Parts: sequence; structure tokens; C-alpha cells
Amino acid sequence: MPNSALDNRTEGGRHPPASEGLWVRVLGENGVQKWVFYIPVVFMTLFLAVPMALTVVWSVFERTQFWMKPGLTLFAYETFFTSARAENYLFSMLHAAIAVVISFALAFPIAVFVRRRIPAALQHRVVLLFILPFMISELVRVFALRPVLGRNGVINTFLMDIGVISEPITVILFSPIGVVIGDVISFMPFMVFAGFLAMEAVQGYVFEVCEDLGARTLRAFREVIVPLAAPGIFAGSVFIFVNSVGGALVPTLLGGPGAVNAGLIVNQAIVAIDFPLAMAISAIMMATLMLLLYIGHRMFDLTKILEPLS
Amino acid sequence: MQDDYGSIWSYRAKWAYLLALVGVLLAPVFYVIYISFNEYGFAARIYEFTLEWYVVVLGDKILVASLEWTGYLALASVLSSVPMGLLAAKFYKRTRHKVAFVTLMLLPLFVPADIMASSLLVYFKNLNRVFEGLSDALGSELFYGWFDLGFLTAWIGQVLYTVPYAFVVILITMSRYRDQQTEAARGCGASAWQAFWQVEFPQIWVGVASSCAFVAILSFNEAPRTALLKGGFDTFANVLVAQMLNIGMSEESYAMAGIMSILSIAIIGSILIYSMARSERLERERRVKAQPLMSQ
Repeated sequence: MPNSALDNRTEGGRHPPASEGLWVRVLGENGVQKWVFYIPVVFMTLFLAVPMALTVVWSVFERTQFWMKPGLTLFAYETFFTSARAENYLFSMLHAAIAVVISFALAFPIAVFVRRRIPAALQHRVVLLFILPFMISELVRVFALRPVLGRNGVINTFLMDIGVISEPITVILFSPIGVVIGDVISFMPFMVFAGFLAMEAVQGYVFEVCEDLGARTLRAFREVIVPLAAPGIFAGSVFIFVNSVGGALVPTLLGGPGAVNAGLIVNQAIVAIDFPLAMAISAIMMATLMLLLYIGHRMFDLTKILEPLS
Repeated sequence: MQDDYGSIWSYRAKWAYLLALVGVLLAPVFYVIYISFNEYGFAARIYEFTLEWYVVVLGDKILVASLEWTGYLALASVLSSVPMGLLAAKFYKRTRHKVAFVTLMLLPLFVPADIMASSLLVYFKNLNRVFEGLSDALGSELFYGWFDLGFLTAWIGQVLYTVPYAFVVILITMSRYRDQQTEAARGCGASAWQAFWQVEFPQIWVGVASSCAFVAILSFNEAPRTALLKGGFDTFANVLVAQMLNIGMSEESYAMAGIMSILSIAIIGSILIYSMARSERLERERRVKAQPLMSQ
């Protein structure tokens, strides 16, 4: 027995004997196999971290007719902050904040309900129900709102049929309200996922203690559950906020002519071949995102969300 | 696990709310599918079932070509994002720099599509210039056009978008796997690959298969990144966006949206049903094993 077991171990490459060929050392666990795990890090660094960091550099380049040349100018930032774009950006932040609040109010109680009241074996399956809408193309989900919210859409037809309104409501499509509705429909499932993940860290006895001590539902929610689930709530909120501010699809399809956000301004700048401006807005978006994540991590320790997975 | 002291009606109301919310999220999509089968299209008083619009879409050479490109892109994304997600999940378990690593892997979820696409567009253009300069310096054309906008750049954009999903899905599945099993296998003489392939993989394959399906669907549905990075070809979602913006909501648009939705619902629905049936079976087996043996 000892011989065969030992032989296998050495063949496995843990301690390759000196007599083994070069290819074993190259392909073995101390060769390629060791470094292969770094592929994702290298890929993400090369094609995500580096381009994102370089947006700051490109944003201070000088604009040429069709491209840009190295320089050190804040003209793109000046163009952004002294035009209506900055105001539009702030408005899109306001709309995004409203979308976050609505998504939290609608979705987070579901995460609490699933964790608190549904048997453990069923919990993941219930959360999976929200995967289905999330996995259908955002494009289709946003597009689908047009025949629902439009003048002749389902909502107006229904309300007129039952006599609640006599004229179609036009403010719910091609308006800021349409954008908020689109953002909520698009991103709300993420609040359920992040909320549920955070709630997994809240032990079941916490609810029992709250009940035994006579805390009412609202008080327990506000003073116990929300603080404990804060990392997940924050991650979900940042996801919705940033994607609402930076995604061009929703304002393009539901916002009408006046609706603008950072993503749309970037697209417009690229169409106008103003690359430094596009990069300046991208840099502002990235700075906003990083600042939010930094604050969130300092306040709530966002790594707690992944504790159940570790 | 209904609360013994709570009202049954409150419990049912919460369930009803949960299902209603799923319904609200899905209802517009089902409405689009419903319209796509109407011969008279949207807002018509008469509804007559037809497959005509689907036949029109699938008979359009440009749309079929875009479907083919989308398929190639989805396949390339699956073949690269899922192994990368798997490697990332394994790396996460062993690295000491978990926060930095997770931030890097999950960052694409938080970077809006248009922002990421525009940064990549400028990055690729600059990379091309650097590579061309390198080629000129070497006096060869070897590095010319490596990062010209096209399939490669669109693929990179898609991989960046889909890797975090593959990573999270596989990580969730891996969280139920005990590393002691790998250690035991290694102790018995298995190589690292044997321990992974013969011990770990059979326990996490469901997660890997699910992430394949997720990546394929995400890639099939993706539009904003591909729009800026695709170069000369069109994907199905890009054609749909162009139609919506240039022509408006035509019957063909509804049929295209219908195709995208039906595909997604069929694949994800199958996964959900399979995983629910599987965990039901495992739970049943667990209960049978846990039952005390009756004395003979």
C-alpha cells in the first residue's frame, strides 16, 4: 500500500522528482497551474481597472478635430460644469435617488420576509423567482414599459375603462416620472438579492429576541434589522443609483427629449467626437462610484455581504 | 416557518405581495409577447393570433445575420467568462487580499454600461496607436489592427460584463463545498487537477452549468457595450435598439423583443425548475438518510 500511495502523490506533481521532465515542471502545480489563477486578475486589471483609471488622464487631453492629443487642460471639465450638462447630471442624480428609495421600500421588506418567515430550504428558491425578471434583457423590460405606460397603453386604457380618468395620463411616459419607473423596474431585483444576502448574516434568534422584548415590527425593522443589513442595503442602493445615473437606455426610451443623464451625455459627446468631454464625465462617474463605495465600506464594512459565501 | 403567534392572513398577504411584485416585473414583458402574436399589432381593437411577425423577422437576412453574430459572441463569452469565473472563485478562496480582489471582480456590476463602453472605446483606440507605433519601430506589420473595433473588442466588453455574474454564481455553489474534501483527496495521492475534476467539480457543476446559461443570456441580451465596441457587425439587441429609435415600435420590434424574452424565459425557467426539483430530491434523500433505522 505505502508504495502505490506515495507513487501517486509524486506523480500528482506535488513534489516532482528531479528525474521528471521539464514539461512536468512547466505544466505542474508550481508552473502554469499556479499562475493560471491570476488570469482573471490580469484580465480585469488590463481591461477594466487600467481604462477606468486612464479616463482621468484622457479627460485633461486637448480635443482635436477627430481625436485628442496629450495636454493638461481642464477645458472638458469647464465645458461640463458651466453648461446645462451639470444641471442635468444633478437632476439625474435626484431621479436616481428617488429610484433607490422606491426600490428599497418595495423590495427590502421582501428580503426580510423571506429570511424571517420562509423555511430555510425554500428561501433560495423564492429569491430565485426574482432572477427571471432580472435575466430578461433590460432593453426588453424597458421597451415593454412603452405599451404599458403610453397614451394608449394598458394603464391608461384600464383607468379610462373603469371611469377613473377621462383623459389619458401623459406624465408617466417620456418624462422624469417615466425614467424613475424605468429605473425601478430595471434594477429593483438587485435590491432583493443584496438585501437577502445581507439578511443571511442576521441570525434567526435576533427576530425572536425583538419579539420577546416587545419591539413592534416597525421599531425592530428600523433599529435592529436595517442596521444589521446595512452593508447589503448600501450595496444594492449604490448599484441602483450608479446605474440609474450612468445608464443611457432608460432615459433614451422612456425619458423623452428633455431627459438626460451621465450615460446619455457621454454618448452624445462621443457622437460629437468630443472624447475629452466623454472621458471627463466618465471620470466624474467613476469618482462618484469610488467615493460612495469607500464611504460605504468605512461605515458598514461591505465585505460582510460576502461572509455567507466565505 | 410561519410565525406561531402571527396572523395567517398577514402571512398570506406577504406572500401575495411578493408574487405580485414578481408579476409586476414580468407583466410588461408578457404583454409585449402577447402583442407580438397579434396580427394587427399594438393598440388594435381586434386580436388575431399569428406567427407572421416572427416569420418576417426570421426571414430577414440582416436580422438572421445579427442573430448569428449574437450567437458567436454569446458562445465566445461562455467559453471565456465561465472558466474565468471559476478560476476567480477558486482564487478568492485562497487569496489573503479578499477585499481588493472582490472589488476588482465585482466592479463591472457597478460601472454603468455606457461609461464602461466609452472608456474601453478610447482605450482600444489608444492601444491600437501604441501597437502601431511598436510595429513601425520594429519595421513589421505584426501588431497592426489588433484592437480595431470588431469581434475581439466586443468580446472583451462582454466578458467584462459577464464575468462577475459567473463568479458570484460559482462562488455561491462553492460555498457549500468543504475544502477538507480536496485535502482528503490530495492526501490520498490525487493531483490538484484530479482533486478538482473528480471530487470538487461533481459537486459544483450545477453552478457552473447555471453560470453558462446566465452568461449566454446576458451576452445575448447585452446592447450598450456592444453598440460602441462591435465595429462592423450588428447584434440582435443592437438592431432592436436601432429599430426602436429610428422606426419606432413596429410589429417586427415586438417580435424581436418576443424572441429575446421567450429565449431568456425558457432557459432561466428550465434552470429554476431543474434546480428546484434537484434540491427537492436531495432534501428527500437527506430526510430518508436521517430517519432512524427500525429495529428488526
